[in-house]
Amino acid sequence: MTLAPPRTDVAASILDGVKVYGAGDATVRALDGVTFEFPRGQFTAIMGPSGSGKSTMLHTLAGLDTLTSGRVEIGGVDLGSLNDRELTMLRRDNVGFVFQAFNLVPTLTARENIVLPLSIAGTKPDEQWLQQVVKTVGLADRLSHRPSELSGGQQQRVAAARALVSQPEIIFADEPSGNLDSRSGAELLGFMRRAVKGLGQTIVMVTHDPVAAGYADGVVFLADGRIVDGLDDPTPESVLERMKTLGG
Amino acid sequence: MLRTALKGVIAHKVRLGLTSLAIVLGVAFVAGTFVFTDTINARFTTLFDDVYAGIDASIRPEQPEFGSAPGTIQGSLPEALLEAVASTEGVQAAAGSVGGFAQIIDAAGEPVGGQGPPTIGGSWIDEPALSALRITDGNGRAPSGAGEVVIDVGTAEAEGFELGDDVRIQTALGTETFEVVGLANFGTESNLAGATMSIFTIDEAQRLFGLEDSFTSIDVVAADGVSAEELVERLTAVAPQDTEVVTGDQQTQEQLDGFTEGLGFLTTALLAFAGVAVLVGAYVIQNTFRIVVAQRTRELALLRAVGATARQVTTLVALEAAIVGFVSSAIGVVSGIGVAAGIKAAMNAGGFGVPDGPLTVEPRTIIAGMTVGMVVTMASALLPARKASRVPPVAAMTETQAPTSPRSLRKRTISGVAVTALGAALLVTGLTLENGATAAVVGAGSFTVFVGISILAPVFAIPIGRLLGRPLPGITGELARENTVRQPRRTASTAAALMIGIALVSFVSIFAASIRASVTDTLEQSFPADLAFSSTNFLEGVSPTVESELEGLEEIATVSAVRTDFIRIDGQELNVGIVAADVERMYDLRPTTEIAEIGEGMLIQRDVLAERGWTVGDVIDVEYPAVGLMPTTIVGTFEDQTFGNYIVGTEAHGDDFFGDAATIVFARLADGVSLDEGIEATQPVLAAFPNIDMNTKADQIAEAEAQVNQMVALFSGLLGLAVIIAVLGIANTLALSIVERTREIGLLRAVGMSRRQVRRMIRAEAVIVAIFGAILGVGVGIGLGWATVSSLADDGLSSFALPAGQLGLWLALAALAGVIAAAGPARKAAKMNVLSAISYE
Ligand SMILES: Nc1ncnc2c1ncn2[C@@H]1O[C@H](COP(=O)(O)OP(=O)(O)O)[C@@H](O)[C@H]1O
Ligand SMILES: [Mg+2]
Repeated sequence: MTLAPPRTDVAASILDGVKVYGAGDATVRALDGVTFEFPRGQFTAIMGPSGSGKSTMLHTLAGLDTLTSGRVEIGGVDLGSLNDRELTMLRRDNVGFVFQAFNLVPTLTARENIVLPLSIAGTKPDEQWLQQVVKTVGLADRLSHRPSELSGGQQQRVAAARALVSQPEIIFADEPSGNLDSRSGAELLGFMRRAVKGLGQTIVMVTHDPVAAGYADGVVFLADGRIVDGLDDPTPESVLERMKTLGG
Repeated sequence: MLRTALKGVIAHKVRLGLTSLAIVLGVAFVAGTFVFTDTINARFTTLFDDVYAGIDASIRPEQPEFGSAPGTIQGSLPEALLEAVASTEGVQAAAGSVGGFAQIIDAAGEPVGGQGPPTIGGSWIDEPALSALRITDGNGRAPSGAGEVVIDVGTAEAEGFELGDDVRIQTALGTETFEVVGLANFGTESNLAGATMSIFTIDEAQRLFGLEDSFTSIDVVAADGVSAEELVERLTAVAPQDTEVVTGDQQTQEQLDGFTEGLGFLTTALLAFAGVAVLVGAYVIQNTFRIVVAQRTRELALLRAVGATARQVTTLVALEAAIVGFVSSAIGVVSGIGVAAGIKAAMNAGGFGVPDGPLTVEPRTIIAGMTVGMVVTMASALLPARKASRVPPVAAMTETQAPTSPRSLRKRTISGVAVTALGAALLVTGLTLENGATAAVVGAGSFTVFVGISILAPVFAIPIGRLLGRPLPGITGELARENTVRQPRRTASTAAALMIGIALVSFVSIFAASIRASVTDTLEQSFPADLAFSSTNFLEGVSPTVESELEGLEEIATVSAVRTDFIRIDGQELNVGIVAADVERMYDLRPTTEIAEIGEGMLIQRDVLAERGWTVGDVIDVEYPAVGLMPTTIVGTFEDQTFGNYIVGTEAHGDDFFGDAATIVFARLADGVSLDEGIEATQPVLAAFPNIDMNTKADQIAEAEAQVNQMVALFSGLLGLAVIIAVLGIANTLALSIVERTREIGLLRAVGMSRRQVRRMIRAEAVIVAIFGAILGVGVGIGLGWATVSSLADDGLSSFALPAGQLGLWLALAALAGVIAAAGPARKAAKMNVLSAISYE
């Protein structure tokens, strides 16, 4: 699906987002009135203690889950107004994903995994763009390999390339480097940063790692389902500092 | 351990549910067959017990040891014998009776019955002890003169005849009209197992059956204190030559044996189909247990880690199989009763009257059903159970998906080829065997071929799966293709289950097409007659009256009758054609000696002669039903096998057989008479014989085709069960694979695959597996068909035909079956919640 042309400088936004799980005594307010705008062409990290609602926020933003109340927009489109089919097409055409693990279809080669969203849409990849993406992630010589023949870091880079290939409005990554050793993690994060700086992508990443957050342009801190703080141009040190004050 | 096993079963109840269904269906068919045949046996035993209940002994003409239809008495006794019998000491009452063929014609002019239970004609016996027929108050009276008949209450009700009605009845003399003066019950039943009964006065019966001044049987009640054996002894003293004295019990047994023999074939056939269903079920069970064990690797490893021995793990899986086997077998046995009712209804619909009454469930049925179900389930779970025991405890700590080690394909290829070759050898041996073991050896050979191909199937799975998946468009097609080849063993054994059903259905199609082609060939070549007449009644042929009346028509130049009966050579019962010399002008048997020249000799089919090692001019001992052993000279050979492999002349040997009804009567039209004129001219003759069918050559061919098509429909229907079980297997495997792939499907959905595309992907996967199985099946079916047809070339199956259209249809149906099998799993996969699928452990 194509989104309305007026490209504001906000790629995605959440307004008064509330997500309640369960009923009665067991009720959990995973998101408790979250409002935030993710600027276009920016790499934003979401941080917070375990159970603070990071994943929930990411999932509702990405159209994988619905809010109990509030409003989510991607590229100016209100996700609440879309049915399941439209949401699926939105994810296919306008959203990229990098999960913590199991990102790839084991029966497909790296190249096939990268172009998967395009294949699903039944369109051909823009070869030039594909070459550029592949080069950026440094996978040119691994394209015909199956996921089982790739290292964990390579697998995550394939996933990142897949997220980029359809030039989506926004890419969501949930702890993408969480399962990687620090060198592979650094490679992946470096690549994601280049995608934002060099290719003009918008990325939202959930992480609990201050080093990872250091690659971002800005950090949002969540606690108990609320945004409690923010930080621009973070460094691992500044993030750690802020986490300490929040934690204490 | 039992509790853990029970919990295991309950935890996987949905997965095991489909598996159970595979067992239930197979067991139900086995149990159903037993219930059905036991029921028929029980009903007939009761009925014949009733028939002969009052009779202590009977004198009848000596019966041939072979060659006669069960229940029909050949020959006759002089009337005068009755007096001698009645005055014998120890005889309380004696009555003579005659029986013969009589078929009631319904209001629409169509013959009633005749395609199953007999159409009986007989004489009324006044002595109640000697007859099971009873006319209750208000149902009229016994026949007392010419033109009167008593019919059974059941037939009267079914056909709407009432007291005082006129009814047309056909006998060998033609059709006459009688007044219904009484409606008789059969003991307490309204009908004798679907038979129709027409009872006349003794004089009328003697006239109608051509038995003036004679009886077919004299039945006797013993005086008090005289045993049946004593009575037989005394009667034997007065009985003339060529007669025999038998007890009532003996006659009951004879009648039952006749039915059991006919039933034996049906039982074997039904059990064979049940066996196929069970075999296919075994594949499904094995596959399910293998997948379930694979998916539970972690759980089983955990058991090992906390101290369960390898043996205990095996026991656990085996116990689960036992529970599943027990529950499903029990359901199967109960469903078998329904299956029996279904078979009964189907037989009734097909015109074979199965007596009403309760279904008989013998303990043997329950034991057999339970045993088959349990043994098959346990045996199928054996390999997976052993595999489960080899799960190392450390697997509990590692990733769930153990990488599938690519097994040595070479080893598999070698063993698969070896087993297939062994099966083929058995099959060929079985087909060339001359004795009764044929069916068993052929069955074992086919089974072995199936196993061999199943072993080979994983070798083909990858190339064939890729090839079949190629035309499928888009990413869904590609994913489906890759999914079918990622677990070649699983795909192969799922497909192999379908292979069996499709192989047998294809075999039937090929066999039938070959019969059709051969029959058409034969008829085209050998049928120069203009018209052929045959009877629709199973037990009675074409009356000689038809023959003589046709001869009397000026439109008809020649009439020639062919009869078929049995002879015995070296103790082996063989079909023999008894032909008139002028048959040659009607039907071309392609003999080396003219029929007119064969005299007292015999013609033997060319290939049979060679096989038996005889030569023309040999004198062989032939046993004829009416006269016994007689040396007969082989005077020549012939080709056409329509009337059997042995042919004798009517003139020389006609009297060596009983009965004078013809199997088929051919007629040649006089010069200048058109076919339509000829048909028209025969109508008055046929009017008196409603059960006679007149056929032109085209009709004959069409009829032969219709029969073959009916056979195909019946067998395909029965084999359909095996296909259904295999489809369940596909559905089961898919459902299990989808659970395994939950996270992958979640991922596809997250990156934008629509529900519809997910469904399409799963469906495509099922279709590939189904077509894979069908291709294997059609291949094996062609092999089986070719082997069978070529080995039967001697028996008249001259052409091997490949019904491409029908085989194509089976492939298409298999694809459709794949779509159906995929429906449930596809819906389930498409409905998955994306988020929970992604985070599925
Ligand atoms: N499907 C669910 N059902 C019930 N509670 C949930 C569900 N998903 C998340 N939660 C709860 O919501 C809260 C936020 O969870 P999550 O967004 O996963 O946190 P984070 O990613 O920051 O660790 C937690 O208390 C968690 O237990
Ligand atoms: Mg989380």
